[in-house]
Amino acid sequence: MTREKKVTITIDNRKVEAKANMTILQAARENNIDIPSLCALEHLPSYGACRLCVVEVDGIRGFPTSCTTPVEDGMVIRTDTAEVRTLRQEVLKLLLSEHPASCLFCEEQTDCKNFQGTIRKVGVTTGCRYCPNDDMCELQEITKKVGLTETSYPVYYRNFPVEKEDPFYDRDYNLCLLCGRCVRVCNDIRLNGTLSFKQRGKLTTIGPAFGRTHLEAGCEFCGACVAVCPTGALSAKTSKWAGKPDEIVESTCPYCPVGCTLDLKVKAGEVVDVSADYDSPTEHGLICVKGRFAIPEYVLSPDRLAQPTILKPEGYDLLPWEGALDEAAAKLKAAGPKGSFIVVSPQLSNEDLFVAQRFAREVLGTEAILSPVMFDLGSDLRPFLDLAVLSESVDTIDTAAGILTIGLDTTYGFTPVGIAAKRAAKRGAVLVTVSTDECNLDMLSEEAVQSDPAKWPDFMEGVMKSMSGNGTRKKAASSFFKKGDRNVLVIGPDAIFSARRGEIFESALTMRDSLGWKVIVCHPYTNLMGMLAMGAFPGLKPGGMRSDGALKLKDPAAVIDVKQKWKVGYFIGEVPSPQMPGCDYIIYENALPAPSGIDPDLVLPAALFTEAPGTTISCEGKILVFNKASAPFADSKPDWWIMSSIAERMKKGALKYASLAAIQSEIRKSIPGFSGKDRRVPRKKVAMEGKAAAARNPHGAGRVMTPLETFRGVALHDHVAGMKAIEERRRK
Amino acid sequence: MPEQIRRILGKHGRSPDELIPILQDIQAAFGYIGEPQVKAISRYLRISENQIYGVSSFYAQFRFTEPGRHGIKVCLGTACHVRGGGTLLDSLEHGLGIHCGETTEDKRFDVDRVACLGCCALSPVVQIDRDIYSRMTVNKLTELLKNYE
Repeated sequence: MTREKKVTITIDNRKVEAKANMTILQAARENNIDIPSLCALEHLPSYGACRLCVVEVDGIRGFPTSCTTPVEDGMVIRTDTAEVRTLRQEVLKLLLSEHPASCLFCEEQTDCKNFQGTIRKVGVTTGCRYCPNDDMCELQEITKKVGLTETSYPVYYRNFPVEKEDPFYDRDYNLCLLCGRCVRVCNDIRLNGTLSFKQRGKLTTIGPAFGRTHLEAGCEFCGACVAVCPTGALSAKTSKWAGKPDEIVESTCPYCPVGCTLDLKVKAGEVVDVSADYDSPTEHGLICVKGRFAIPEYVLSPDRLAQPTILKPEGYDLLPWEGALDEAAAKLKAAGPKGSFIVVSPQLSNEDLFVAQRFAREVLGTEAILSPVMFDLGSDLRPFLDLAVLSESVDTIDTAAGILTIGLDTTYGFTPVGIAAKRAAKRGAVLVTVSTDECNLDMLSEEAVQSDPAKWPDFMEGVMKSMSGNGTRKKAASSFFKKGDRNVLVIGPDAIFSARRGEIFESALTMRDSLGWKVIVCHPYTNLMGMLAMGAFPGLKPGGMRSDGALKLKDPAAVIDVKQKWKVGYFIGEVPSPQMPGCDYIIYENALPAPSGIDPDLVLPAALFTEAPGTTISCEGKILVFNKASAPFADSKPDWWIMSSIAERMKKGALKYASLAAIQSEIRKSIPGFSGKDRRVPRKKVAMEGKAAAARNPHGAGRVMTPLETFRGVALHDHVAGMKAIEERRRK
Repeated sequence: MPEQIRRILGKHGRSPDELIPILQDIQAAFGYIGEPQVKAISRYLRISENQIYGVSSFYAQFRFTEPGRHGIKVCLGTACHVRGGGTLLDSLEHGLGIHCGETTEDKRFDVDRVACLGCCALSPVVQIDRDIYSRMTVNKLTELLKNYE
């Protein structure tokens, strides 16, 4: 008998059932009875700040707030009596006595909205428009609902300076009603604690300690506070004046393999803003700064490549698509199977990766399908892939007894992982953090170890020893974890890109395979799983990731000799880097230009994930969808279309796709997991042939410094203004 | 963590309810609540520095700047306010070049306002350290400050 206890209550003469732990407000909303409220919000704890949700309850003196009063069996509630209405109007008047009200009570409101024929034409600072939230303002709606048409109190303008020094969002506390939604979402949902009420009475504002900026105070810039603000007090810098979106398109974040759901807000055919989806099962809406704020500026960058161009001695020359495709086909054909390679971005969609590997194998006739994963990880590729492919889901942390994080700071990325760890620590799990500097999980950790990355493998050695041996138990950080408990190890980017990562990976594998640890790897390669499933990897055929047997990889070094002399390199959504092989002719297919110093010979403009639909695979193996939110920018084309068109010119009929659906039906046929209902690809342990070859891997040690945040090889901070401040702080 | 803070924290439990008693002990020991202290409390009670600041800034009893060698308190209760307490505070702020709640750069004085010192018949009154000065004027106050080093 696990049925939830139900009670029967009467709201406005209607008998309704409600769960016993509900508040009156929740019960009413569930039965479509509307009680106005400004501070209550689903997902947030009740607070009772705005007093607008007052109701009459038989047997309770006065007017209780429905958001803080739990239901009781037999309760008789009236939500809409004359007395309650008057009281609400009075409460709202008091709330508005500290909020500029010109947009709420103006005789010319309708004309102004329709024709802008009045004073609203004047600027924000001199005119009556105090805020960017017109038409999207809950306060406007509530004022209408409560039926207030004028106020009898003078409006006191608090004259706080507008705070604009932080990246991504502005704060005008002159508009703030102190409903506390932002404070609650920051403290109770994000477990971040940047926002707090400061001072008291009429001096109350919201913000961090000691007059620090939000950046200094550890703000994640997740934008949750901006999303919940019922007024225009908090507003995103880039989208604040965009107005009400025309359309909201659900999509997936392309910046990391967690695969958060994003709601793209579209206005006049452009993605202007993004919001989180609190009902998403993967991350529960706990997205990071990149998904929340770094998308519109990237996809709408003024530097977007608009048309194919070709490098001539005098500079770049525009070229029609026909000419560009002919040129690419001619160069690749001339280079032959031995002379050309392709580089694919792990941030491409499955469809693009599938076409890319077919293009390389069937049209170029080469296995040289390179990617930054190979060059970054170098000789530590095998243990890395073994860990990454079997990375556990985020909610594994919810039931963990012990959590060890190595080289992880989740302020500006992997926030769902970080928040899950914080939640676990709050309910009593042991959290131990190992990092170079202070990290954002330290506050809730049992022990925060700050040490040089070179010492991390030894620390892990200590953990393993204290778990398997029954030697003397010192009270060391490494001895917090008990055998038989559910322990989770989280490997962060700082560990993945540290010099002794090979040993870290091997220790993690031992912990996983022999000591029962669950391992989560926080790496930046969004569609790494898609790359492997599609076979966009040297020596790995599509569909190689199956439910039976291990995922058999060949050491890339054994398949291709990267050091050879190359004629043509075809970079698909990736930027040539010094670690990658050099070549005589660079075909650069991307959405944004390569950084200065790299002059590709042929530039093909590609459409981005908001413009060209597709699918991606998250680190837990879920197949997720990029939905189309806008038309391709200028003359840019989807990556698969470009490859397929070049192929058509090189080898007629070898590889021709007219639509995305055609690629998807082929993927369904050949890749396990895509045809099933649960939309998941099977994941298996990785076995790499030619293990001995790893020692003399031509890629060498690879990258040993945590890379900048990039998308398709292009640094985010070059195009997203706020990311500059974030990168500076990450590297402080 | 400095030993003194550690000792204070050690006297308290690690539940968030202990925040205000800890803040009071810190203020008593250091004279004010500074950034290193707040950080130490944050790690000890597992609540963010910003939340701690939020709580402590609500109460008038806590200060965030190091106190001066002499504390000046200007009474702005009803009686003192009517008889010119505000002017006294203005002249002090102007003369010392600081705002209410701050400390002069040479750490000689800090200035605060209080709601009532309980001797309204003597208004306007100013308290310096533990002494109450009655029927204050701007001139008398300026002269008086010269006695404090």
